[in-house]
Amino acid sequence: MHFPLSYVLIRNSEHQEDGGLEVNGEEIIRFERVTKEYDGTVVLDDVSFAMERGKFYTLLGPSGCGKTTILRLIAGFIEPTEGTIYFHGKPIQNVPPNKRQVNTVFQDYALFPHLDVFENVAFGLRVKKMKEADIRQKVSEALRFVNLEGYERRRIQEMSGGQRQRVAIARAIVNEPEVLLLDEPLSALDLKLRTEMQYELRELQRRLGITFIFVTHDQEEALAMSDYIFVLNKGKIQQFGTPKDIYDEPINRFVADFIGESNILSGRMIDDFLVEFAGKRFVCVDRGFAPNEPVDVVIRPEDLELAAPEDGQIVIRVDSLLFRGVHYEICGYDENGNEWLVHSTKKAEVGETVGLRFEPEAIHVMRVEREDEGA
Amino acid sequence: MKRTHWWGRVYLLAVFAVMYTPIVYLMYYSFNSGGTMHDFQSFTFKWYRDVLSDDRLLIIVLNTIVIALLSAAVATILGVIGALAIYYVKRQRTKNALLALNNVLIVSPDVIIGASFLLLFTIAGIKLGFTSVLLSHIAFSVPIVVLMVLPKLEEMSPTLIDAARDLGAGPWQVLSGVVLPFLAPSIWAGFFMALTYSLDDFAVTFFVTGNGFSTLSVEIYSRARQGISLSINALSTLLFLFTMLLVIGYYVLSQKGGRMYGIGGRK
Repeated sequence: MHFPLSYVLIRNSEHQEDGGLEVNGEEIIRFERVTKEYDGTVVLDDVSFAMERGKFYTLLGPSGCGKTTILRLIAGFIEPTEGTIYFHGKPIQNVPPNKRQVNTVFQDYALFPHLDVFENVAFGLRVKKMKEADIRQKVSEALRFVNLEGYERRRIQEMSGGQRQRVAIARAIVNEPEVLLLDEPLSALDLKLRTEMQYELRELQRRLGITFIFVTHDQEEALAMSDYIFVLNKGKIQQFGTPKDIYDEPINRFVADFIGESNILSGRMIDDFLVEFAGKRFVCVDRGFAPNEPVDVVIRPEDLELAAPEDGQIVIRVDSLLFRGVHYEICGYDENGNEWLVHSTKKAEVGETVGLRFEPEAIHVMRVEREDEGA
Repeated sequence: MKRTHWWGRVYLLAVFAVMYTPIVYLMYYSFNSGGTMHDFQSFTFKWYRDVLSDDRLLIIVLNTIVIALLSAAVATILGVIGALAIYYVKRQRTKNALLALNNVLIVSPDVIIGASFLLLFTIAGIKLGFTSVLLSHIAFSVPIVVLMVLPKLEEMSPTLIDAARDLGAGPWQVLSGVVLPFLAPSIWAGFFMALTYSLDDFAVTFFVTGNGFSTLSVEIYSRARQGISLSINALSTLLFLFTMLLVIGYYVLSQKGGRMYGIGGRK
């Protein structure tokens, strides 16, 4: 397994990843063994990680995984039950939200309905008692940044969903925060607008050069936008890495299942570079497991190639077929009853028997979770 | 569709006729020179002239308005604070209990409230008059304001407060810059409700007015008992028109508020 060189990863016994305790660049935020409980329910369980200045981070996970809790902890709306949060190396417990160099773009945007666009953006500056001329200049700069010039006197109710979101971003960045927190800001937008905003947010982060922490449950969004992704589940960091690391080398069944579509099979490691699953032995590129250690094997559907039955490493009977535009989505079962999902530009008929071929590199072997996470 | 509901309109008309006929009847005879409420002789403004030239009555009108404005203003301030307090109570049971206590005051009979105030003021040694009336009006108006403000507060997204704090606002700035402006329409509505409650209250006021101090409702009642004079009709008509004016004012304000806060959810 390879991780980004700038990060040293330490695994604890519970297979929880610590998200890079050392950073290469300037460290901006650090969580040290942070736990958060609500009325005895643990929503964040002994989490440690560090974040670097000027990068785009995504906290990815299903609802209730603790991702929004991390955001609220950084913003200061809640305090950790245990552990310490550092900002520029200094603990920021007891610093109220209004004194933190952090601003948030909320899921429902939380724009002030009684103020127009200009006054919404100016809110933070007015609180700081900035001079009127400076406020004007900064607000119009911020609005230009998000392509909303000329909308100053519009009411919030007159703005579309996408425009409201830009106002929310302008309102946050006008305060020149060191960290911008984004709580599922795209979830209320339709697909087309969402894709557009993904590009815009990424571009915005590059231009501003500040740290973005983006929360989402949408894995495609996370893969497309981030420098680094934290995959969370049940209050623990499952995996930390670049989008490519996480997609190509998922650390466990949960991550493999959550990130993209995949075929996950139970198997066992015969020896270094030799794994057994679906009743057969295959050459692979993984090593370092105990002999006969039970493992989970991941093969991405796009890594499977259709072949004649006699040429196939696996033979399946096609059960269903869907045309997805770019490719066909073929679903079938092998002789052992394992389900196989194939993405192929070639078509196969339902009921037909076809062979599947794949390279040794396509096989990704993972350690089995002690307690079964995920489905 | 149009034809099937003609009877609905007739019904509506009948209901409003029943409700407004007595008032119209009363207003009609306030212009009667005959001095009785059964046969209309000729049109006159005499009774209105009588009312307007009655100094004692004008002072009472002034009293009534001062009491209404003062009590509504104080009740609005207290009511908003009360609503905020109830909003910030975390435990649902405590919250419900406080709300129930609030609502009991609105539904309980005015006579009982009036009598208990009389008892309280006597025990506390407060002289009956302006102060006692003002205090009792404030007291029965506060629950109304709470009831008007609280739903709007519950409707407010909690992230609005988070957003304000996130942008650097301290507790006072959150309140003055976000919460109060958001509540403004319902605060105004509460104020107007309190105003009308105070203006037309009879039962409570009747208990706590002493000698030499009276409000319009109490005065009309005592004059009506003394004997029939159409100046009472004139006075009632004026009072009714004034209330109408308040209702229209409230309507205009709430319309404006509705537009401001996009009740229609226009995108």
